[in-house]
Amino acid sequence: MSGNDPTPSHAEYGSRRAEEGRLAWLRDPSLLSLCLASVGVVVLAGLVQVSFGSYPMSITQAWQSVTDTDVLLDARWTLQFLLEEELMRTITGFQGAELPELTTETLIVWNIRLPRVLVAAFVGMNLAVSGAIFQAVTRNELASPYILGVSSGAGLLILLSLVVFSGLSAFLPLVAALGGAVAFLIVYAIAWQNGTSPVRLVLAGVIVSTVFQSLQTALFFFADDLGVVQTAIQWTTGSLTGVGWTQVRMVLPWTVLSMLLAVLGARQMNVLLLGERTAKSLGVSVERVRFGLSGVAVLAAAASIAVAGIVSFVGLIVPHLVRTVVGSNYRKLVVGCLFAGPALMVGADVGARLGLLAITGSNGGQMPVGIVTGLVGGPYFLYLMRKKRDLGEI
Amino acid sequence: MDGNTQRALVSEALPASISEALRAVVPESLRTSRSATADHGHDDRNRDGHARADRRTGGDGAGELAGTELVVGYPGAETPVIAGETVEIEPGSVTALIGPNGSGKSTLLKTLANQLDAEAGSVLVDGRDVHSLDPKELARKLGLLSQESTSPNGLTVEDLVYHGRYPHRGFFETVTTADQAAVNRAMELAGVTHLRTRELGSLSGGQRQLAWIAMVLAQETDILLLDEPTTFLDPHHQLEVMEIVETLHDESDVTVVLVLHDIEQAARYADHVIALRDGEVRARGPPAEVVTEDLLANVFRIEATVEAGTNGPTVTMEGPLHDDPS
Repeated sequence: MSGNDPTPSHAEYGSRRAEEGRLAWLRDPSLLSLCLASVGVVVLAGLVQVSFGSYPMSITQAWQSVTDTDVLLDARWTLQFLLEEELMRTITGFQGAELPELTTETLIVWNIRLPRVLVAAFVGMNLAVSGAIFQAVTRNELASPYILGVSSGAGLLILLSLVVFSGLSAFLPLVAALGGAVAFLIVYAIAWQNGTSPVRLVLAGVIVSTVFQSLQTALFFFADDLGVVQTAIQWTTGSLTGVGWTQVRMVLPWTVLSMLLAVLGARQMNVLLLGERTAKSLGVSVERVRFGLSGVAVLAAAASIAVAGIVSFVGLIVPHLVRTVVGSNYRKLVVGCLFAGPALMVGADVGARLGLLAITGSNGGQMPVGIVTGLVGGPYFLYLMRKKRDLGEI
Repeated sequence: MDGNTQRALVSEALPASISEALRAVVPESLRTSRSATADHGHDDRNRDGHARADRRTGGDGAGELAGTELVVGYPGAETPVIAGETVEIEPGSVTALIGPNGSGKSTLLKTLANQLDAEAGSVLVDGRDVHSLDPKELARKLGLLSQESTSPNGLTVEDLVYHGRYPHRGFFETVTTADQAAVNRAMELAGVTHLRTRELGSLSGGQRQLAWIAMVLAQETDILLLDEPTTFLDPHHQLEVMEIVETLHDESDVTVVLVLHDIEQAARYADHVIALRDGEVRARGPPAEVVTEDLLANVFRIEATVEAGTNGPTVTMEGPLHDDPS
C-alpha cells in the first residue's frame, strides 16, 4: 500500500515535525507580533500610569524612577514588596530600622503607582484566560467568566457583606471569591442531568445571574449610608483605585497557579472543541475535564474579582481578539491571552484615571475601570456582530 | 518469577497451551515482530498490509467486540430504544448495521462505543467490559467516527488528524515519530494528504468527512465504528469512504462496524449485515442471506426486487409499502 511508502516529501515533512520539538508552535509570527504589541501597550500605558497622579512627574522622571537601581538591584525591596516586610527581614536577616532611603519620586512610583499597574496586568491576564477557558468548556464564543454566574455570585456576596454583615468587610476579597465559586457550583448543579452540556451550562448561568442580580438590586434599598453604596458600586463595576502591594501579594500566587494550569490544559481544550462525542471517543473524560477546567477558570476569575471587583467585558473581548489573530488553537490562544489581557486592562486603567481629567478638566476623581472596559467592549462587540456572520461558534 | 523460569514453564506445558502461555509471557512487541516476519512469504503489497495489521492488532484476540443482552434507552423515554439485543461482531470483518430511521442502529453503535450507557447488559471489548477500561485505554482499542462532530474553523486537516493521537500520548508527552508515522499513514489511507495544510472551514463536506476519517484512523485502533459515514455525501465521496473501508478490510485485521442507509452499499462492502427495526435485530448474516425481498418489505417497508450480482445482491426499489406488515 502506498501509505507505507511515503514519498520523500512526506518523509521530510514528518521528520521536520519531529525536530521542531515541544515549543515549535510558539514560533508563530502572528502570535509573536501580538505578544510584542501587547508588551508595548503595557509598557507605554504603565508609564503613563506611573507619571500621572496628585504628585506631578514627567514621563522621563517616571521612567527613571521605575528603573531606579536603588530598588531594582536591591533584593530586599523586591522581597519586601512581594512578601511583606517581616518575611523580608527573616529571609535577608536585615536588622536595620528602615531600608536605605529613596528619592520621593521612586518612593511614590514603587509604593503607590507601580503596584496598581501590576494588579491591572494580573487582573487582565486572569480574566482573559478565564474567558478563554469558559469559551472552550461551553463551546460558545459568547461565554465569559461571568456567564456561568461567577460575577453575580461574587457581587451578591460583596453587597451582603457590605450592607448586612458589615463585620465581614475586612474579608471582602475572600467573600467575593467564595460567592463566585458557590454561584458556579449552583449553575453546575442546575445544568447537571446525566452530565452537562454547553447549552445547559449557559442557560443555567443566565438563570442564576438573573436571580442574583435581582437580589443585588434589592439589597441597595437596605443600604442607608451613601458611602456604603459607593463602595458597593466600586466593587460591582470593578475598580483599581487604591490597590497596592497587598493586592499584588493577594493575586499573584493564584494567577501563577491558574495560568500554569490553563497552559497545561490547552490540549484538553483543543480536543473539547471537536465536540463532546469525539472528545469522549478519543479517551477524554469529558465531564471531569470540563469541571476541572471550569474550576481553573473560576479560580482565575475569583482572584481578579478579589482585588478589582467585577470588571466587565475583558473576559469576553480578549479571547475574541486573540482568536481573530492567532486562530482557535488553544495553545496559542492561552498564550496570546496572557499578553493581550494585561494590555487591555492596563490600557483601560489609564482611561479610567485620565477619563474624568479629560472630560471635566479637574484632577478630582477617577472612574472605576469597569466602566471603561464596558464602554470599549460594547462597541467592539457591535462591530463584531455587524462584521461576522456566524458569531458564537468557535 | 524471572524470564528463565517463565520460559522453562512454557516448554513444560502441553503443546496446545503453549501459544496461550507464550501470549501471557512474551511482550506484545516481540510477538508482533515475530508474526510480521512469518508473513514474509506473501507478495510485497500484501506483506505491507499484513505487517500493518499485525502492528495494529498485536496478535489474535484483539478486535473483539460484543454486546450482550443490551437494553438501551434515553432519559425521559418510557420504552427502551433497544430491548435486550445481543450482537457479536466477528473480528477483522466488516459489519453493516441497517434499518429504517429510528430503528436503533445508531443507538446500538453508540452503546457499543460506550457513548451511551446500557441500562442492562454489557459491552465487551477484547473480552473486557468497557466500563472496566480506562477511557484512554478504550480509545486505543476502539475508534468512533461520530455523526455529531464540530469542526473548529481555523483547524487544519493535519492538526485534526493529530488529535487522533490523543489517547496514545501522556499528559506531558510531545509528538513522537510513531505519532507522525501514524498520522501520515492515516492521511494517506484517507486520501487527504494533499489537503494537509487546508483549514477545515475551507473544505467541502466530503473532504471534511475524509479528514475526520483520517483522524479516527490515526487512533490506530483494532475496532473502528463509523456512524453513518456516507450520509450527506455526494456519490463520489460516498465511494471514497467505502473504498477506505474496503482497504481496511483487505489489508488489515481491523474490525469495522458501520451504520449505513444505503442497502446496496451494505450488501456490497460488508461481510455481515445486521438489520434492525424498532430496536430489534430482525436479521443477521452474510448480505446474500439477509438482503432479500422479504427483508426489504418487512424491515424497510419497501417493495423491491433483489438479484444476485457480482458484488453481492443488487436491489431495485419499486416503491414504498403502505400497509403495516406487523
